Amino acid sequence: MEYEFTLKFILLKVSPDADELVERLGEAGCSDALIGIGQPGRIALDFTREAESAQQAVFSALDVARHAIPEAKLIEVTPDFVGLSDVAELVGVTRQNMRKLMLTHKATFPAAVHEGSVALWHLYPVLKWLQERADYRIEPSLLEVAYIAMQINLAKEASQIERRVQREVTALVA
Amino acid sequence: MARTRHPKKEVEEAIQHAEANGWRIQIGGSHAWGKMYCPYNDAECRCGEFCITSIWSTPKNPGNHARQLRRVVDNCTTRKRAAEAAKSEPEPESE
Repeated sequence: MEYEFTLKFILLKVSPDADELVERLGEAGCSDALIGIGQPGRIALDFTREAESAQQAVFSALDVARHAIPEAKLIEVTPDFVGLSDVAELVGVTRQNMRKLMLTHKATFPAAVHEGSVALWHLYPVLKWLQERADYRIEPSLLEVAYIAMQINLAKEASQIERRVQREVTALVA
Repeated sequence: MARTRHPKKEVEEAIQHAEANGWRIQIGGSHAWGKMYCPYNDAECRCGEFCITSIWSTPKNPGNHARQLRRVVDNCTTRKRAAEAAKSEPEPESE
């Protein structure tokens, strides 16, 4: 199947210019990715990758990137963190429609990861909810990619956790 | 316009779509065929990384590459906002 996802990286202070990084990615066989270099100090790889599974697609892309551009540090894998308009766009409904759906099912709709001046969700639980509770047809490849993107982003953040805190929190929050 | 055409028909068409929307094309590179630059350079833009997008000489899948390039052009927030504004204006009289 074909999987669509984006890897966003921050570049170390001493990095070769963007054109050089693009050439290296081309050499490494990343021509199934669109490379964005519009932000100084950043690089984004928007893949449409053929693979057996989303995990294989994303892991192989991460592996190639790590070797081709070692000066890049992963910030996030998308699609994962989303606002309601992002979800609406991904499943092809209006934002108002999405908002109404959330408000009328307050009890079961997945809780936002953060609510403030903006509200953010992990995409996967929202897609799952739409599929199971609201009878939406969700592309299997999108569902799969959203799941693995969430897993990677969580795993990446988790490396910052202090072990002692982790143990206590597990007991307190479980 | 006098620029080299991209060897892949679908990609060339996507580049022309970008040009029609004001994107500037710069040719150069080896694995890269060139780059396209977003015409809007304003603080409100949140497209970020893809305001400059690299175009491959021999993309793994030319159809996908072309589709992705088009998506970058069509998703530009400044362009979308301009289109929305135009839509809410009264329709101009057509002949």
